[in-house]
Amino acid sequence: MVEATDQRQDFGDWLERQLRLRRMTQSALAEALEVTPAAVSAWTTGRAEPREDRKRAIAAALGVEEEAVLRRAAQVLPPSALNWHHRPAHRDGGREFGNAAAFAFDADLAVLAREATQNSLDEQFDPKRPVRVRYTLEELSGEHLRAFLDALQWDEIRPHFEASATDRHKVGRVIAEGLREMTESDSLLLLRVDDYNCTGLTGPDYGDDSKFAAVLRDQLNSHKGRSTAGGSYGLGKITLWATSRLGLVLVNSTLSGAHEGRTSRRLYGRLELPWHSKGGEDFAGLAGFGETDTEPGREGTARSWWADETTTRSLRLEREGRDPGTSFLIVGAHDAAGDAQTLQEMHEKLVRALADNFWAAMTSGRDSRPVLEASVTTLRNGNVVIPEQRVDPAVHQPARTRALSAYLNGEAVEQRTDTTQVAVAYVPLRVPPEKGAPRKESAEHNAVLLVTAADDNDREPNRLVCMRGNRMTVMTRRVTDLPLGTDAFQAVLLAGRATGSDAPEAHAAEQFLRTSEPPEHNDWTKTEDLVTSYVRGARQRIEDFRKDMLVAVRVLVGRRERVKTGGPAVLRELLRIDAHTTGARRPDRYPVVRHVEGSVDARGAWNVRVEVKLPRRTDPWSMTPTARFEVRSGSRPAISWAKLIAGENCRVEQGVLHFEAGATSASFEGVTEVSSHPVTGRMARVVVDLQKGR
Amino acid sequence: MNTVFPYPVLTGDITLEVTAVKLDGRPLPLSMISRDHKVVALHEVERSRWDEARLDLRVVLPEKELADGPWDDVACLAALTEASTNARATARLRRSDAGWWSGSLVFHRDAHLTRASLTVAVAATVDGESGRLVGMAEESWIVELDERIPARKQELNIHETDFRNGSETWLQTFQDAPWVVETTGDMPTVHLNTGFEGLVDFLNGGGAPVERAVRGMLAAQIAAEAWTAMFNAAVGDLECDDEGRPQWPTGWRDGVLRSMLPDVLPDLSISDALMEVHLRLTEGGWQELQPRIQYAAARRAKTPKNIANGLRAMSRDVETER
Repeated sequence: MVEATDQRQDFGDWLERQLRLRRMTQSALAEALEVTPAAVSAWTTGRAEPREDRKRAIAAALGVEEEAVLRRAAQVLPPSALNWHHRPAHRDGGREFGNAAAFAFDADLAVLAREATQNSLDEQFDPKRPVRVRYTLEELSGEHLRAFLDALQWDEIRPHFEASATDRHKVGRVIAEGLREMTESDSLLLLRVDDYNCTGLTGPDYGDDSKFAAVLRDQLNSHKGRSTAGGSYGLGKITLWATSRLGLVLVNSTLSGAHEGRTSRRLYGRLELPWHSKGGEDFAGLAGFGETDTEPGREGTARSWWADETTTRSLRLEREGRDPGTSFLIVGAHDAAGDAQTLQEMHEKLVRALADNFWAAMTSGRDSRPVLEASVTTLRNGNVVIPEQRVDPAVHQPARTRALSAYLNGEAVEQRTDTTQVAVAYVPLRVPPEKGAPRKESAEHNAVLLVTAADDNDREPNRLVCMRGNRMTVMTRRVTDLPLGTDAFQAVLLAGRATGSDAPEAHAAEQFLRTSEPPEHNDWTKTEDLVTSYVRGARQRIEDFRKDMLVAVRVLVGRRERVKTGGPAVLRELLRIDAHTTGARRPDRYPVVRHVEGSVDARGAWNVRVEVKLPRRTDPWSMTPTARFEVRSGSRPAISWAKLIAGENCRVEQGVLHFEAGATSASFEGVTEVSSHPVTGRMARVVVDLQKGR
Repeated sequence: MNTVFPYPVLTGDITLEVTAVKLDGRPLPLSMISRDHKVVALHEVERSRWDEARLDLRVVLPEKELADGPWDDVACLAALTEASTNARATARLRRSDAGWWSGSLVFHRDAHLTRASLTVAVAATVDGESGRLVGMAEESWIVELDERIPARKQELNIHETDFRNGSETWLQTFQDAPWVVETTGDMPTVHLNTGFEGLVDFLNGGGAPVERAVRGMLAAQIAAEAWTAMFNAAVGDLECDDEGRPQWPTGWRDGVLRSMLPDVLPDLSISDALMEVHLRLTEGGWQELQPRIQYAAARRAKTPKNIANGLRAMSRDVETER
C-alpha cells in the first residue's frame, strides 16, 4: 500500500469530511473518545495528529474499518448514493435559453475534434510521452440502451427534458428533436473522447485552483497548465455540450495527482438545459449528477464521486489502464453541420478533422515520438463496426507532413533538386522589448519556413500554414502573386517554440506572437494587448513578419530569375502560336472518320468497320478511304483495299465512297490487300482516313 | 479514334513525371522543372557547357488493369527523341514496391540541338508476341536545352533593336523600316526598329483611349504581316515523302499550319488542306490562295476588331472635340 500512503489525504481534512458526512459534531466525537473538544479541533485543523491506537478508536467511533483510517482515502460510493441536482431558477427571475458560449461555436464534429484535442494537448502530463486521444462513436439500442439509461437515472431527468423541449427557442427545438429521434429509433449515439497522458481533472470540486472546477463548474474560465497554451478550456470545452443534442456530458477522470487520497474513477455528469418549469417549480437549467454535497453552503448541489468499476462500466466510462487523463462521454451526439449523418460518415469526419488540425503534432522525426497520437473507433452495442483507426497524418496531409518530418530529421535543403525534397529558409522576427522589462533591445528570432511540392490531387495548393507553441495551426494563408507556371506547393512556418528551439529568443517570440492573437487564436495581427504590452513599433514588427514570410515563400518556390519577356504586350498577345490548346473548335466542314473497329483475319488481311461523321449539306460527298500502317517516324506506308463494302448512307464506285446528300453519318467496311502490306498485318496498327475524292 | 490495334491495349491513364535532373552529376534546382507545364529547362548560366544529363523519372501505370488484363512481361520504357537530329535515348524503368515505375534516362548534349520530347511506352507480351506496344503516356514532356525557364513556348521572339547599329548587321539594309519579320531559325522573330523614332515607345506605352486604339491597329498590322510571313515560310519549307505527299513539319511550322489551314481551306480536312496548298504552290493556283491566306492571318492578328476599335475611338474623339 505504498501508493496509498503517497496519495492519502491530510488526516485533518479526512476527519472533518467524515464528521460532516455523518452529521456528527466535533464535541460528539470528543465525548465518544473521552478527549477534550480542543484535541479534536487540533486534529481537524491539522495542528496535531492522533497516535495509532487513538486512530483505531476513532475508526470504531465513526463505524469504519481501521484500514480506512490508515489509508484515509475518500470512499467509493455505490450508485444508490448518486443523485441529479438541478439548479433552481435565478432569484431575479432571469431566464437563460442556452449557453452563450455554445453559440460562439458551430456544433460541428470537426470543431469538437479540434477544440477537445487542443485541450488535451495543452494538458500533456509527461512531456516525454505522446498524448493519446481516442474518439469512440457508439450506437446503443435495445437492452444496452436501457441499461445505460438506468445507470444514468434517466427517469429522474426525463421530465426535465420534456419540460425543456419546446419550439419556442433554438435549444428547445434541438432537445425535442433529440428526444423524438431517441424514441422513434430506440437508439442513442454516444461519442466518447478519451485522453491519456494528460493531467486529468485535478483539484477540489470548487474554487480557483482546480482543473475540475474550471471544466465542469465555471464558464469562460481558461485554467491551463502552460503558458504556451492556445485555445481556452473555457470556450473550447463548450463544444462538448454543443455536440450533445441533450446537452448532457458525463466525465471520468484519472488524476495525475491525488485528490482526497484517490486518483482513479472520478466521475461527474453535467447537464445543460435551458430555463424550464416543471411541476410548478422553476429551474435555471443546469444540473449535476453525483454525490449530494453536505459541505456548509453547498447543500443541494452535486459533487464528483469516486466510482466503482461496475458503475463506471454501466455508464460506459471505464478507462484503459492507469494512465492519467479524462474521458468525456457526449450523450446524444450529433453533427449539427449536417454533413455527417451515418456512423460511417461521422467516423470519417472525425478522422479527417483530426488529421487536418493536428497533422503537425502527430508528425515526428525518425528518432523521436510525436506529441500526439489519435485514433477513432466505431461501435454498436459494444461490438466493433469500424475497428480502431489510427489517424495517419501522412495519408491526409502528405506534403505538409513530409515538410515537417524532413525538418525534424535535419534533411531539409536550401534549394530543392528533387520533387520529394523540402526547402528550408529562415524568416527573421524581431521581437520588441516589453514595456518596463529589463531587456531594452529587440530579440531576433528566426522562424523556420518549409516548402515542398504539393500532392498531385491537392485541392488547396499554394498555402502557408503558420504554427507556434506545440505546433498548433494559427492560420493558413493563401500565397498569391506567384510567377505564372509555379508548380503547386505547400508551405509551413514554424515560429516560437514550434521551431523546437529552447532559446530565450524563441520564448520571447512565442510570447509576442501569442499576444498578437485575437481571442480565436487564428491570426497574427495588431491587438490591443500588443499595444499595451510592448513598446512602440510592435505593430510594425508583426506586419513586417507577415510580409517577410510571404516573400520568403516566393523566393523558395519561384524561378530564380524572371527573364524579360520580350516585346510590347499588345503585340505579344497577337503572336501566340497555340492553335492546339486554345480557341473554340469549329465544327468540321468535311467528312471525318468517327470510329474504326477491326481485326486481322485468317489470311492476314485487316477487316475494318468504319463510321463516318458527315457535315450537313445538300450536295453528296465523294471521298477516298485510305488505310496506312502506323509508324514511329517518317511517312506511313499506304495499303490498298482488296474490297470496300458500302454500309449505311453510301455506295462504293471504283474505290471512291459516295455519301448521300443530307445524311449526317455513314458507314462502310473494308478488307485490305495482303500483298500491299509492308509487314504482316497483325504486327501493325492501321490508321483509316478519308481523302478528297479524285 | 481512327487507329486500330490488332491486339488489346491499355485504356487507363499513364502519367509521367520528371522528379529530378542532374547535369554531369550536379543536381539542377527544382525551379527548372515544371510539373505544371511538363517542361524541363536545362540551360544554366553558371554551367553552359555540359556533356551528360540524367533525368529521374516516375511513371504511374494503370496497375489494376495491367494485372487483370491479357498482358505478360510488362516493361515500361522512357524515350527521349528530337525530330531535328533524329536522336533517341531510352531507359527501362523498374517497378517499385510503392506501385510506380522509376528510373533514370541519360542523354548527351552533342546528340541534341534545342528541344527534345520525352515520353513513356509500355510494352508487353500479347497473344504470344513479345514486346508489343500496349500504351503510351497521355502527355509527353519537353526538354528544352537552351531555355532557362521551363515553360511551353508559345510566342514568337520579339526583338527590339536599333537597325542602324545593332549586332545583326543584316538589319542595316532595313534601317528605315519600322519592323522586319524573320522566319528562318528555330523560332520566327519580329525585329522592331528602336531607331525608328517613337515606334517602340508607342507600342510599349499606355495613354488615352484613342492612343490605345491606334496602338491596337498598329499591332494588328505587324502581327498580320508576321502570320502571313510565317505561313508562307512554313508552306515553302514542306518536305515530301517518297510518294510526293507533303510531311507535317515540326516546331512552330506545325503550330502555324494547324492554326491557319482551317481558315485558308475550310472545306478540306487538315491533311487534305496541306496537300492542297502544296499542290497550289508547286503546280499552280498559289495566287488564287493569297486572299485566303491574308484572311487567315488577319483573323490571328485580330485585325477586324482592332480596326473597328480604332475607328470608333477616333470618331468619338472627333465628336468630343466639337
